[in-house]
Amino acid sequence: MTSTDRSDELHAAGLDGQNRTALGRLLNTGNIGHAEKGDDGIMRATVRIPEDELVWDPSIVVFPEGGEVELTLINDDKNTHCAVLPHNGDPKIIWLVNHSKGTARLSLSGPGTYYYGSTTGNDEGRGLTGALVFGGEVPDSAKIDRPPQPRP
Amino acid sequence: MTDYVDAGEAVPHKTLSAVKGQAPATGDVNYERIQNARSEPQNWLTYYGTYDGQRYSSLDQINRDTVKRLTPAWVFQAGSVGLHSGASTYSFEATPLVVEGVMYVSGPDGKVWAIDSTTGEELWRYKWASPYDVSLCCGNVNRGVAVGHGKVYMYTLNAHLIALDAQTGDLVWDVTNGDVRAGESGSVAPLIVKDKVIVGSAGGEFGLRGHIDAFDAETGERQWRTYTVPKPGEPGSETWGDENAEAWQRGGANCWVTATYDPELELLFHGTGNPAPDFDGDVRPGDNLYTDSVVAVDVNTGQIRWHYQFTPHDLWDYDSTMENLLFDAPDGRKLLAHADKNGYFFVLDRTNGELVRVFPFVDRITWGEITPDGKVTPKVYPDEEGVPVHFWPGPAGGKEWTHMSYNPNTGLIYVPVQEVGATATRRRREFKESIPYWGAGVAVDLDDFYGYVAAIDPLTGEEKWRWNNEYPMCASTLTTAGNLVFQGTPTGEFVALDAESGEKLWSFQCGSGHHSSPVTYEVDGRQYIAVPTGWGGWVEGFLPGLLGAAAGDALFCFALPQS
Repeated sequence: MTSTDRSDELHAAGLDGQNRTALGRLLNTGNIGHAEKGDDGIMRATVRIPEDELVWDPSIVVFPEGGEVELTLINDDKNTHCAVLPHNGDPKIIWLVNHSKGTARLSLSGPGTYYYGSTTGNDEGRGLTGALVFGGEVPDSAKIDRPPQPRP
Repeated sequence: MTDYVDAGEAVPHKTLSAVKGQAPATGDVNYERIQNARSEPQNWLTYYGTYDGQRYSSLDQINRDTVKRLTPAWVFQAGSVGLHSGASTYSFEATPLVVEGVMYVSGPDGKVWAIDSTTGEELWRYKWASPYDVSLCCGNVNRGVAVGHGKVYMYTLNAHLIALDAQTGDLVWDVTNGDVRAGESGSVAPLIVKDKVIVGSAGGEFGLRGHIDAFDAETGERQWRTYTVPKPGEPGSETWGDENAEAWQRGGANCWVTATYDPELELLFHGTGNPAPDFDGDVRPGDNLYTDSVVAVDVNTGQIRWHYQFTPHDLWDYDSTMENLLFDAPDGRKLLAHADKNGYFFVLDRTNGELVRVFPFVDRITWGEITPDGKVTPKVYPDEEGVPVHFWPGPAGGKEWTHMSYNPNTGLIYVPVQEVGATATRRRREFKESIPYWGAGVAVDLDDFYGYVAAIDPLTGEEKWRWNNEYPMCASTLTTAGNLVFQGTPTGEFVALDAESGEKLWSFQCGSGHHSSPVTYEVDGRQYIAVPTGWGGWVEGFLPGLLGAAAGDALFCFALPQS
């Protein structure tokens, strides 16, 4: 199955939008984006909330490894939302009124997946739950002393 | 369209709460002080209260006469925000620590708090961000923190050892110590010994090679790592098949419960977990050292001085990670007590690992037999592909990781007992990193279960009394000089028993089941009993008959009325 097939299938099933087959949008069925690592080592990405879609775009952001993140958040919707984001130390929150733009500086370890969402009303359930996915491996010092093992 | 409204920068969630952000300074908690923790019962300085694992307090304001007036002093709610791993299996499993009126406790999902131990006021909080997709056999849990050297130490779900400033909760250092891609995780409460912080691996159902690690408490530099499965050529490697066998590479023997420690011998007594795959022994011929064992580890070097294996070549998932309680016989002999998952209670000489006595502490044992001289004979086990085999105790054991306690006044050890069986059907599978590696389909009994607190004389093996309960006992006991034993039940009651007779003297319904370790302390002349509650963790393993019970994550604190 190609990505286009998958998008078409989600659309045909009415799962990629608001108030179609389901009440909200199926989580993480939006676009996939990739962060860019700057010369300063900080990984940067931008997500936005399109009008009346109640989805983060991209809904999945992939980072090459754990580390320092600078996320730009833009609310292009005509309603107010927010974001509560994972961060080592304490989650971070930003309030996003209509047509607003802000940033979140996060420190997250990898590999692994973290979710964030707009914690107002049931934005999270309607589709405003996004994923931050960190690839990579743990340092050699954290690995088990054994020969390489099979993975799925 | 106009320019965007400036939403500014995201701020820490806790800035929008009543948390103070600062705890009062306390006296330094150093090695000498932890060694002498029994002399300051107003505090609970280390995981078991004292290095010996006795979970005994000499406080007696709350006693057999006064306990009927025990009432809640305050309640602390952990709460959660957003999606987190183990969303249906999180559990508040920690042992709170208390230093001079400040309580330090960890909760599910990477949370640590400093709390005013007299009011429940949140002084500071720290939350480690835990990946949603980390491999967890048994839920989103953490068993507690260590406090010392001005810091609070926690081992995170994704196997980072972190050190926080004890006054502010700010991160001091962070070390990655485990491989989450291999299915490794962290849940153990760290132990401070000398200048070291000791932790162990978790992930027994994912085919790891278990290990114990010691770190410099100031810098986070690793001082030693000891693998609990030897590789070819090392002592014990002959128990893993021939030299070309690969089973040792994924052999298990993880160490996810805090060690006890003897400062005179300078030995850590660490329990080790099940071999992997749990139920398919044909792929790992031999005794499979050091799985299901106690290993006596030289704290200075990490060298294993001696070991005793409770279940050689385990085929029932009988981890021996639970505590090894240290006590001395009347003649001064240094002993170690261990109530194993396999249903037998062991007393060893802790100087050399010699068996002193072994006897059953549960009613139903069908997996096999251990004779008084320690000879092990397996009887019922899943050895034929696709054939179901029922056995007692089930894989959560006659006693799980939750702890027993020893009262020197009564000479009794109070054991939380689970009477639950299970059926395992061998299903061989290939090993792949991060995928569960059980080698069987397992269904724990949904009925025909019960539990009790057993008061056992470790010098004779005699059960002096038992307090029966409809449901198995899945939480730690605490005993005090008030002649009391405290025990939480799976249905939410927190009960106080007479330490001499087992009579129930008091109870309080906490609203969710107990799977943690209560503690006691004193501030300004008032004694408190604190217990985290919250039904969760590996419920499908230890009591699936209550899989539908209400979750929770509240810490209750009790005291006598001040008037």
